[in-house]
Amino acid sequence: MRLNNLWTTNARQLGTFFGLLLLIVFFWIWTPYFLTISNLLNIAQQTTINAIIAVGLTFVIITAGIDLSVGSIMAFSGVVLASLLKADQPLIVALIGGVLTGGLCGLVNGTLISYGKLPPFIATLGMMSVARGAALLYTDGRPISGFSADFRFISNGEILHIPVPVLLMVLIYFIAHFILTRTKLGRYTYAIGGNELATMLSGVNVKMIKTVVYTLGGMLSGFAAILLTSRLNSAQPIAGIMYELDAIAAAVIGGTSLVGGEGKLSGTLIGALIMGVLRNGLNLLGVSSFIQQIVIGSVIICAVLIDMSLRKNKS
Amino acid sequence: MKNIALLFVAVTFLLIAEGCRRSEKLDDNKPTIALVLKTLNNPYFIDMQNGAEAAAKRFNVNIIVQAADREVDVEKQMQIIENLIQMRVNVICVAPSGSQEIVPAILKANEADIPIIAIDTRVDKNVLLESGGEVLSFIGSDNKDGGKLAGQFIVNELGKSGNVAILEGIPGHETGDARLAGFYEVANKSENIKVVVSQTANWERDQGYNVMQNILQAHPEIEAVFACNDMMALGAVEAISAANRTGEIIVVGFDAISDCRAAIKAEEMHASIAQHPEAMGRLAVEYALKVINGESIPDEIPVGIELITKENL
Repeated sequence: MRLNNLWTTNARQLGTFFGLLLLIVFFWIWTPYFLTISNLLNIAQQTTINAIIAVGLTFVIITAGIDLSVGSIMAFSGVVLASLLKADQPLIVALIGGVLTGGLCGLVNGTLISYGKLPPFIATLGMMSVARGAALLYTDGRPISGFSADFRFISNGEILHIPVPVLLMVLIYFIAHFILTRTKLGRYTYAIGGNELATMLSGVNVKMIKTVVYTLGGMLSGFAAILLTSRLNSAQPIAGIMYELDAIAAAVIGGTSLVGGEGKLSGTLIGALIMGVLRNGLNLLGVSSFIQQIVIGSVIICAVLIDMSLRKNKS
Repeated sequence: MKNIALLFVAVTFLLIAEGCRRSEKLDDNKPTIALVLKTLNNPYFIDMQNGAEAAAKRFNVNIIVQAADREVDVEKQMQIIENLIQMRVNVICVAPSGSQEIVPAILKANEADIPIIAIDTRVDKNVLLESGGEVLSFIGSDNKDGGKLAGQFIVNELGKSGNVAILEGIPGHETGDARLAGFYEVANKSENIKVVVSQTANWERDQGYNVMQNILQAHPEIEAVFACNDMMALGAVEAISAANRTGEIIVVGFDAISDCRAAIKAEEMHASIAQHPEAMGRLAVEYALKVINGESIPDEIPVGIELITKENL
């Protein structure tokens, strides 16, 4: 009975998970380098940045919104973080500074959307350009490089043989999952996406919730910036171009509906892993980057097509 | 609906399978050399790929050529290197997307005992030293010398005085910075050559067009343009032609790709600096093979550079 329940409530996520397994088997057959512990950790690590940004996107998309600015916000947060590190600020101050920069950009997004009544597409499209410009202006277009070993530990370190970024990603997913499923904020997020007007009429402060959701998205971009900057030992103002699309793709492959009201973080994580596995596997096979792009695009379309046909069957 | 979905799934898997079939079959008995380029949407790097592949065939070794979708995507380049480490290739030759950002990836390869050879773009020496990484050799041209050649050409053409515009590459790229430094070294010597405007067009053709169009609006007095690569120069050529000023403005690019040679022949453009990407690709394979055979190789392998004009096409 419980198993049956698990299946019905998570059918979409299990379907995606099955897709992931299929891919893994596929690459396992085709290349001997794929299914090794070190390569699996490698994939997990390569997935972290996209997966973390996608958490924010999942929240935003569940409210029936969209955020196109996350890549630019990540770049801006990254250069602010890097400049704080270079100014010999304590590590914790720099980290908080980076996350807050992202949060501030997200707050502006949320305010414009909730109180300025701008469509999310427009507000975040504007922010995409503003944050990118701010990052370029702040650094004069140049990367900021070379940080302390403490800071490098965030991406290089291992605890119990598991890379720190992977642990951080898991931690973020646990916290975000808790927020989304066990708190008022989470329930209101779904409610807004399901029916914004009804949610508002039942006394929920919709504007505030939406602002919080976009701010959260910005903060997660800031967090991803920490990992990226530590990984490359450098913060680039041109980092993260098109990362928003990867994150949207991860959420959508994972079953988050762009119409709003539906989606799970477990699905998003699997979606991000599918993209990571595809890139890694095609790399190991030596497939040209042109074909890789076609394949990844097709997978996104496939996922949504299947999703839609399943929904139709249900209704 | 369901049928369309199934059809699409089938097509996608066929695509993946086709991709796998087309991927180079690696022979386990031969050594494998990996060539990681900045991008494969620039003819310059495609020439490099061709040079390397031809050499690999001649020396009977496996070659894997990979690149990120976008030239600036250092993180993707790092992922590619991580994945190549998983494949335990024998040598990795890399054209770094970022001189400093590539260092962590190099460290990972060092840790896995896979030798690294840098091609085309140097790895930042200070960052490398600080982090204790090792790059066996650099195969490439001296970009600063190329910048000087370009500067000298413009100075000669303009005579004693003139207004010059510059299209820069992505700021912070060693390649572009060195070309600019070389250019300024020559240009600053002749007092009446004035650089009126210097803007980035991020190495790209369409941006070269737009930026040049804006420059022509703001500074119609421009007499010469130095673009830090040919893609931007070709964009500038289009913009100049759209403004009906073809031939009035001297355009000098860098790389001497085939489109640009054609433009020089058609007198739309005046000069470019030839690097020899095929030679770089070929030398990368040759020296990688020496490394595999346990021979030591020099830490600098210069590849010649020359000024290409209508006279020596």
